[in-house]
Amino acid sequence: MSDARLTDPAVDAADATLLQKRVDRRRALGILLGGAAVATQAAAACSPVAPLSDEEREVKLLAWREYIKGNYRFMTEAERAETIARLERIAKVKRGVDVRIQSTGAQPGVEFGYAFNISKCKGFRSCVQACINENNLDRRAATQYIRIFEMENGVVDLEEADATFQHEVPAEGHFYMGTQCFQCANPPCVKVCPVGATWQEPDGITVIDYDWCIGCRYCMAACPYWARRFNWSEPEVPVDQLNPNQHYLGNRARKTGVVEKCTFCIHRTRQGRLPACAEACPTGARVFGNLLDPDSEIRWVLANKKVFRLKEDLNTEPRFWYFTD
Amino acid sequence: MTGRSLRLGAAGLAAAFLALGCGQRGGAPARERDGGERVHNIPSSGAAIAHVDSEQAARNATREPGALETVTAGPVAPWKGPGGKPFEVALRTADPTTALARKFGTITLQTSARARAPDLGQYPCTSCHLGRKITLAEKRIPDAHQNIKPQHPRQTGGACKTCHAPDNVELLALQSGERATLDHTYRVCAQCHFAQANAWAGGGHGKRLDGWQGRRVLMGCADCHDPHKPALERRIPFRAPVLARPRADDP
Repeated sequence: MSDARLTDPAVDAADATLLQKRVDRRRALGILLGGAAVATQAAAACSPVAPLSDEEREVKLLAWREYIKGNYRFMTEAERAETIARLERIAKVKRGVDVRIQSTGAQPGVEFGYAFNISKCKGFRSCVQACINENNLDRRAATQYIRIFEMENGVVDLEEADATFQHEVPAEGHFYMGTQCFQCANPPCVKVCPVGATWQEPDGITVIDYDWCIGCRYCMAACPYWARRFNWSEPEVPVDQLNPNQHYLGNRARKTGVVEKCTFCIHRTRQGRLPACAEACPTGARVFGNLLDPDSEIRWVLANKKVFRLKEDLNTEPRFWYFTD
Repeated sequence: MTGRSLRLGAAGLAAAFLALGCGQRGGAPARERDGGERVHNIPSSGAAIAHVDSEQAARNATREPGALETVTAGPVAPWKGPGGKPFEVALRTADPTTALARKFGTITLQTSARARAPDLGQYPCTSCHLGRKITLAEKRIPDAHQNIKPQHPRQTGGACKTCHAPDNVELLALQSGERATLDHTYRVCAQCHFAQANAWAGGGHGKRLDGWQGRRVLMGCADCHDPHKPALERRIPFRAPVLARPRADDP
């Protein structure tokens, strides 16, 4: 048993000074109950009936410390590093995979924008495939962030649109329009969250702290674009298909009963790369870039093409434009 | 008749190099490579192929933001990109790691026709076209350009020599009399498709490779479009596979 690995300096320090300084309620409860839990486990380990292996005990302890941690937004850098180390260790122990979880912050002077060319999209769904692989989406429930709607030429009518088409595309007389999270500048989903588990980052990406989400699904009801997905069961991703390049606010492992959504591939875009959907698109229908950079492609599209946004009258200010050639 | 066929053949040979997906069907045998996991029979659809490459994933994760690891590129003339800044276009290369596929994360997406050149048994053109007249016997080589059925440019009644230099099989001909290499197909295409070329230079057409930040490298026209048949082919869309295995807690 590697006690050194489990040593949690912050908790130990808090333990030592519990009586001398103010400790918030959550942390104090965590320390007290955590001690009780560890004692129980230690007792169980001694019993001949059901001894816990070192790894099982380690996972339980890690899971407990995960359970009592705070909201990601208010963590210090040290606390973030600790929780990431724990999450990586849990992935290693439980699934045997070496994941790398980033906590990369927003770049200054960057606000992401997306443009979708409805003249170009042919409905191949390569973006959907790339998204599933990149974001470790639940293979069992076939979760998808992106939906491609097939619509008859001449009208944007989402009620008559078909998102489940499965025939040779592009179909005659039809066009294709993809939706995903639009990363609204005035996001209704953030407003309704009762616990502050979802918020807008400085670069415009609306993110979720999966460990703070209580699964009430208010945000799903509030989103006019049906961009959020709920995990009715623990997402299943085969180990050989798992993407180890992860972000705390993005594609790391989700659990049962929490909401997830598109984050413009936060683990890629904050490193200067394109979202997986834009990179995978074989038609060049997807344009991604920095809205604050006047030399970016997205700004060229906004300045030179006919653009519109979906349900613009709702004042959600999506950072996602549709355009035609 | 013979002269015309010869020109057609010469043009076609050069063009087979550009063509997206025609070569394999037409029988140009792809050379076998070691490394069985590598898929090099690229379907003309450019379908993304799920692929696990943890080594590449690790490389991608450690590299600098915006760094373009696998792309060789050259400057574009005469267009300027957004902000009036010059940009680059991806070049074809015989290096298989670069040419076969661009890999990122845990997936390999083969959206580029650059992969084709090293796989074409007929490339370079001068392996057959030695600068002398091709005899009738040589014309009966079964692989020679049978796969090319030009559909473009149909409206303008274009012939092979509209785009291919009659005096050099490796070069493309511009209407101005200039010559362009096969890496600069955009110069040929833009003579008619100027609206698309402007959008390409600005950012509304085509694909930027790898990142939104850093060097701006685009794919060339013939990386996506088969010059002899430029429209994308219809195909069955991707459908997400669903795990069939029941969960442990299922009734």
